[in-house]
Amino acid sequence: MNSIAPSDDVSPHAGLSVRQVYFRWLITLAVACGAITIFFPFFWMAITSLKTAPEIQRVPLQITPDHWFNLTNYFEVFKREPFLRYLLNSTIVASIAAVSSLVVSSLAGFGFAKYHFPGRDAFFLAVVGIMMVPFQSVVVPLYNWMNHLGLLDTYMGIVAPDLVSVFGVFLMRQAIEMIPNDYIDQARIDGCSELRIFFSVILPSVKPAMATLLIIKFMWNWNEFFWPMVVINSPTMKVVTMGLMSFTNMYFIEYNLLTAAAVISILPILLIFITLQRWVVQAVVMSGLKG
Amino acid sequence: MQRGGWRMLVILAAVLVAVTIPDSSFAQQKKLVFWTHWEQNPDFNKWYETKGKEFAKKTGYEVELVTIPYQGYEAKYLAAFMAKSGAPDMFMGMANQWCGQYDFCDKMPADLEKVYDENLPKYMIPIGKWKGVRYGIPIEHGNFQQMYINVDMFKKAGLNPDKPPKTMNEWLAAMKKLTIADPKGGEPTQVGFAIRSKGHPVGITDKFLPFAHAWDARLLSPDLDKATGYANSPQMVAALTFFGNLVLKDKVASLAFGNPEDAFGQKRAAVIFRESWFFGWLKKNAPDVNFKVYALPCEKTCPGAGALFPWTDLVYKNSPNKQMAWEFYKFISNAKDDMEHHQSQGILPVWTVNLDTAYVKSRPDYQSTKDMLAQPVPPTYFHPKSNELATAFGEAVVGVLFGKGQPKPLLDDAAARMDRILKD
Amino acid sequence: MRQWFRIAFPKDYSDRQNRAGFLFVLPALLFFGSVFILPLAQSIMYSFYKIAPGGASQFVGLRLYEKVLTDSTFWTAVQNTIQLVLFSVPTTVICALAVALGLNRITNLKWRNVWAAMYFLPFATSLVAAALIWQWIYEPVYGFLNYALSFVGIPPQKWLQSLFQVRPAIAAVSVWVRIGFDTMIFLAALQSIPEQYYEAARIDGANAVQQLRHITLPLLNPQILMVCILELIFNFKIFDQVYATTQGGPASASQTVIMLLYDTAFKFFRFGDASVMAVFVFITLLVVTLLQWRIFRKPVEY
Repeated sequence: MNSIAPSDDVSPHAGLSVRQVYFRWLITLAVACGAITIFFPFFWMAITSLKTAPEIQRVPLQITPDHWFNLTNYFEVFKREPFLRYLLNSTIVASIAAVSSLVVSSLAGFGFAKYHFPGRDAFFLAVVGIMMVPFQSVVVPLYNWMNHLGLLDTYMGIVAPDLVSVFGVFLMRQAIEMIPNDYIDQARIDGCSELRIFFSVILPSVKPAMATLLIIKFMWNWNEFFWPMVVINSPTMKVVTMGLMSFTNMYFIEYNLLTAAAVISILPILLIFITLQRWVVQAVVMSGLKG
Repeated sequence: MQRGGWRMLVILAAVLVAVTIPDSSFAQQKKLVFWTHWEQNPDFNKWYETKGKEFAKKTGYEVELVTIPYQGYEAKYLAAFMAKSGAPDMFMGMANQWCGQYDFCDKMPADLEKVYDENLPKYMIPIGKWKGVRYGIPIEHGNFQQMYINVDMFKKAGLNPDKPPKTMNEWLAAMKKLTIADPKGGEPTQVGFAIRSKGHPVGITDKFLPFAHAWDARLLSPDLDKATGYANSPQMVAALTFFGNLVLKDKVASLAFGNPEDAFGQKRAAVIFRESWFFGWLKKNAPDVNFKVYALPCEKTCPGAGALFPWTDLVYKNSPNKQMAWEFYKFISNAKDDMEHHQSQGILPVWTVNLDTAYVKSRPDYQSTKDMLAQPVPPTYFHPKSNELATAFGEAVVGVLFGKGQPKPLLDDAAARMDRILKD
Repeated sequence: MRQWFRIAFPKDYSDRQNRAGFLFVLPALLFFGSVFILPLAQSIMYSFYKIAPGGASQFVGLRLYEKVLTDSTFWTAVQNTIQLVLFSVPTTVICALAVALGLNRITNLKWRNVWAAMYFLPFATSLVAAALIWQWIYEPVYGFLNYALSFVGIPPQKWLQSLFQVRPAIAAVSVWVRIGFDTMIFLAALQSIPEQYYEAARIDGANAVQQLRHITLPLLNPQILMVCILELIFNFKIFDQVYATTQGGPASASQTVIMLLYDTAFKFFRFGDASVMAVFVFITLLVVTLLQWRIFRKPVEY
């Protein structure tokens, strides 16, 4: 069915030698070890969010918090900052960016991958080139520009530079490039228009990439800090990262609150990831190889 | 599953559309926008809004406070000021930068200027001025380092916590007694002095300045137009040698001790030089530390009260409401409000008359602040390029601390670089 | 020109096709053009102007280029940046590829999703927050890392406060953040490889390693190329992690180009100098990307 393993057709171990079974376990073990290592800082973060300020500073270090159900940091986070509002703002901003990016990027990716209009490569390079410009150096002119468009302190102002991401165009182009040209030609012979091909041949074959783009783009914008900070003034328009950063200041970092806020800000993303992850992995079943 | 996913998307999209429709109820209220990045003083900031409500009863103008994250605040300020729109009417910043390097500040009306020139402690008079013209209202008193000592550690080391070291040599001797070396030759288990060991060179310069001033050295010439002969003077070399030796030779401070504030709070360091905000931090994060605050020790001179970061309240030049902004500042420019404003956050008031109020007297740094104020005012370097200059100088200080070179050649380099910055 | 004319007034079927292709690309081009062209042009223009105190600007030609490109501070920053890139880019790409291949082989879907989520979580944290959390794990005295190392008998290390460990330590944070991102891209691509290829290979008697070498890797080529380019760009422009933790210290050991650019523009108010650095970053990345493109890009044959 897909490339998961050569043995999907019957039971997992059927037709495998002992060596292959061991090999498979070894892979699982390695993947799991890596995952746990990568995950550790989050565990640490979650634990810290249950500690009080003096507890964190304790030497020698004590791993476990004094009280496992000490949620005062979480209450404090919500008390100090309207975090629910921030969560909502971030969701709005990140969703707009992700969806618009998906639409425009997959179209552009198709265009760049499968057509030969004049100047194609130059255009593509120009688009990728935008990524190479340090954002810090265009912040001031970009702010000016947003100001002319009247977008300061609005959701549109936050997402405007992110409505289409270069990365999205790149990702979709690379994914669509992998689709055999035969499929497209076959569809043309069947009398499909180009747009029709896009919807009925291209999109179904790149669902994993689309889901990837949605997830990544969503997170990207969820975690954007610098630009929203520059365009947003009203407390009601602030996004999660700005709330997060309010627990650090010129002199010190309130780690117990910062970690609590970080945990809060990650949970929604985790939810989205788990929802969309299924598309990344299983979409292939739907890709309906017509060859 | 597929259909479920799409349904979710549709719902999401509907919610988005519903919420993005802008707040039409947004009434164009008359307001003054105030920007600050003093995140660590939320109550202090809030007070502007509270006072703004009172002000509105008189004039119809409220104050809207915008707290800007310290991470990257410079970019936000600059973008807004340059675009002229979306910029605040009033903001917190340094006069030498926003009024000196750029022309963003409105000159203070003469009557208000007089009020401040008459009511500020001597050392604060130049704060908020650029080329003799007053733009800003100084808001932070106590933004100079004092000596915090751990009383218990002093006693344990056989030192009298009520008789702090007065000279740098006495101080160094005390630091040696307070340091407990690691028998295995590693990092000490307890150090005398919590030194700043990381971060931006600007911060290091700030923390080194009391030593430089104690040796009677200065970063720049009195006219702030020359560094060579000042930043690399023999006095400066002596001060930096002493400072570097704290780590390298005398080993009474360690770069591996992490955050200096934490080291003091965790009783791993006996002494730290910090500004007046530090005592609030201790109360919160290390309530069990038994500390006292004293004036800094002296060498050739006594490093008195002076600031590297002259924070002030300013008015934006291109604001359509600047007249009203000054009215607001006038409204809060009196001894009573000064007291109320600063006490709300537990920081020191600015007006001279408030320095002897019951609240100030009750603070552990009351006497030491008095002592510091009694010392001659140390040199200040309120130059438009102060950040860049302090960075160039700080590279030399860090270079010495991390054993990258000797004080003299590093300072020569730094001075030459600073001269280039001044000329450019 | 003639080609464009043919796109506008298509003569034959292939012209019409190409016109459709161009129309597909057009929205993206219009967007990038309208949002970024103006700011970009302005930013490049700054590099020829000096801003004097008081805010007036003065045309100085290439003087700022000369000044920045002869400044030792700038070249130190470039060196540090290159070191960081060399530490983190290969590590990230290779680890991510290995993880994706591994994840792809795990048959239990539920567990695979759990492991994948764990790899991906770092990317779900904002860079600044991630850096701050790591800073605190690195903390020499009460940080977790030294605590853990003490069990294996390794004495406390200074990490971010050490001239030599600071770059690897920061690079590790970048790897940690990016690994899930790359894995995700690889995983999605692996899922898109038509199963017939493997079936055909198996019929020909190819073993797992041969399948990897002759089918998987060549087919992943577009993604590998893309990930290498993205990682290069991301890591060369490293800023948040440094700004939030060491601010370029200790003793400039972690000063990076963008860090210097930021300070120059917003702390020192030298927009011209900063724009020169931006142009430098842009041209460097462009050249390296083109090289990568030349070397790695092989037409995929089906």
